[in-house]
Amino acid sequence: MNKPYTLQELLIITAAREIHDYEKVILGVGIPTTAGALAKALYAPHAILMMESGVIDFRPLLPLNHIADMHAIRGCKYVTDLFSVFTMTYRGFVDVCFLGVAQVDKFGNINTTCIGDYYNPLKRLPGAGGAPDFISYAKRTVLTMLGGEFVEKLDYFTSPGYLSGGSSRDASGLYPPGSGPKVLISTQGVFKFDPDTGEIYLAQIHPRVKIEDIVKKVPWKLKISDNLTETAPPTAQEIDFIRNFAPAQAAGRKIANELIIRNARNANAQGKPS
Amino acid sequence: MGGTHMSQTGKIMTAREAIERFVFDDCHLAIGNYTVGSCMELIFEIVRQKKRGLTVYSQSGVIDVEILVAGGCVEKLVSTYVYRGGGREGGSSVERALKNHSLEIEDYTNFEYNARLLAGVHGFPFMPVLEGIRPTDLFHKRTFMGENKYRIIVCPYTGKEVVTVPAANPDVCIVHVQRADKDGNAQYWGALGSVAAAALASKKIIVSCEQIVSEDIVESSPHLTIIPSFRVDAVVEIPWGAHPMEVIGFYNRDMVMYSIFAHACGDEGRMNDWMNEWVYTPKDRMQYLEHYIQKFGIKSLQRIKARPFYSAPADYGAAFTSMWNEEGKERNMGVTIEELEQILREKGALYE
Repeated sequence: MNKPYTLQELLIITAAREIHDYEKVILGVGIPTTAGALAKALYAPHAILMMESGVIDFRPLLPLNHIADMHAIRGCKYVTDLFSVFTMTYRGFVDVCFLGVAQVDKFGNINTTCIGDYYNPLKRLPGAGGAPDFISYAKRTVLTMLGGEFVEKLDYFTSPGYLSGGSSRDASGLYPPGSGPKVLISTQGVFKFDPDTGEIYLAQIHPRVKIEDIVKKVPWKLKISDNLTETAPPTAQEIDFIRNFAPAQAAGRKIANELIIRNARNANAQGKPS
Repeated sequence: MGGTHMSQTGKIMTAREAIERFVFDDCHLAIGNYTVGSCMELIFEIVRQKKRGLTVYSQSGVIDVEILVAGGCVEKLVSTYVYRGGGREGGSSVERALKNHSLEIEDYTNFEYNARLLAGVHGFPFMPVLEGIRPTDLFHKRTFMGENKYRIIVCPYTGKEVVTVPAANPDVCIVHVQRADKDGNAQYWGALGSVAAAALASKKIIVSCEQIVSEDIVESSPHLTIIPSFRVDAVVEIPWGAHPMEVIGFYNRDMVMYSIFAHACGDEGRMNDWMNEWVYTPKDRMQYLEHYIQKFGIKSLQRIKARPFYSAPADYGAAFTSMWNEEGKERNMGVTIEELEQILREKGALYE
């Protein structure tokens, strides 16, 4: 009998399994940093975790709020400036980077800047941050998509995936050969990119998800792997790590927020926060 | 650059005085801090003084930019990242200002933004950036920078095309650090981000700090100094000066206050209420803290106070600190100062 787990735990664990021992890894805050902490604890003890703020070789004590979080800096092995983290990536020292996605197209190009016209936006999203430069020069990129969407055409082209598909990324001469997005992890499954066409396809499906649920959210005819597998359930050890390290993340934002508000109300009523 | 002769009158002043003296309408303002330890009180003071028409440079325009925009101070923004309170469904003051066209933004990547400042720091007219940006909309879609957002040159050595960004030298940088001495040597530790670059690229620098320390503290830890005194125009001591953001070694981010702020961003009315309560009504950081304590209790502050985790001291020791040994002899020549003078006289080397 497997230990029961939450969807959030499954996502973090699926992401963590993308980190291999001895790799140099660029992480963003949220699922990636927690995945990094898990990987370092269980399967990649020699991985070098880094964030673009200049924190290098860290092992977070607590789940992180942002990319210069004090809880990553305490006990890290090297602090440098932001500029150097990117030139380090440009020179080929970074094996894998993790990026979040708001909109993604068929070839793994990403929008994190706006919804609607850039000059007259319906929604202004956070923006580029470090994403375009990391996905350009890290040896490979893992995408994570929580609230995002698949679109035929991006509202704004923030970060380069396989451009117009085929060999267009390599042919542009702008990127190291072989670089680009390799995996996209969503709340429904794991997608990969065809090495010849650059097109995204469904490789793995999470438990309780139906293929048609995935297909209907993709505005083109989504390719599906002949060897489609179901995401392997997390081990008890993996679940225990996440639940201890980042209990609110394990619970998910909605439930965690409910509990935080309840706790704050109780504390207010008693006149002292717990 | 006012740095050097300012020392005669003293650089220590209040936030109000520093902003009055060095931040002016329509100026280019750099936010020194990157995510961690924002210079909150200096930002609040700019809003209170109703500075207008600013062009703001912020590496990660989160709480800093959100408050300046909500305060009506900003006309143009150069950034890589802005904040959305409450995630995708929430909104922000930045979004509302972009929609009603009271704000223009020029989007860069983190690296490119930092490159502009570093070109400014070192006095270069431009800096090469990473060519991978060329197919993207960052490269193609431009606002107030126009043609000068990026320009392409041919590298004289390789013959390859190189994407460049122009230097930025903002009029004034506001930055919060852990500690500084009265002359402005500013010590900061943690992720370095682009903190030093933002400050050093700027023409004037206002440093706020958790504590002003004596010169000998700075002299025993020069590796922590990121801005040298001669570049600094104002030093403002503001305990809890970054609250609700964190300062390593002093306090954590205040999740209660931050959540209230994040919730407020999503709606103009809520944001105005938040600004009135926390920015406009308190006259300074002391009154802000008094209001906070009255509302949430002193315990809310106490529980985010950092417990020490000291760095191992770096040993700056050397074998000796004078060329004269315990016997009064010069360490290498083996003579006393009297003997040396006698020898110089005998050899006719002294102009008597």
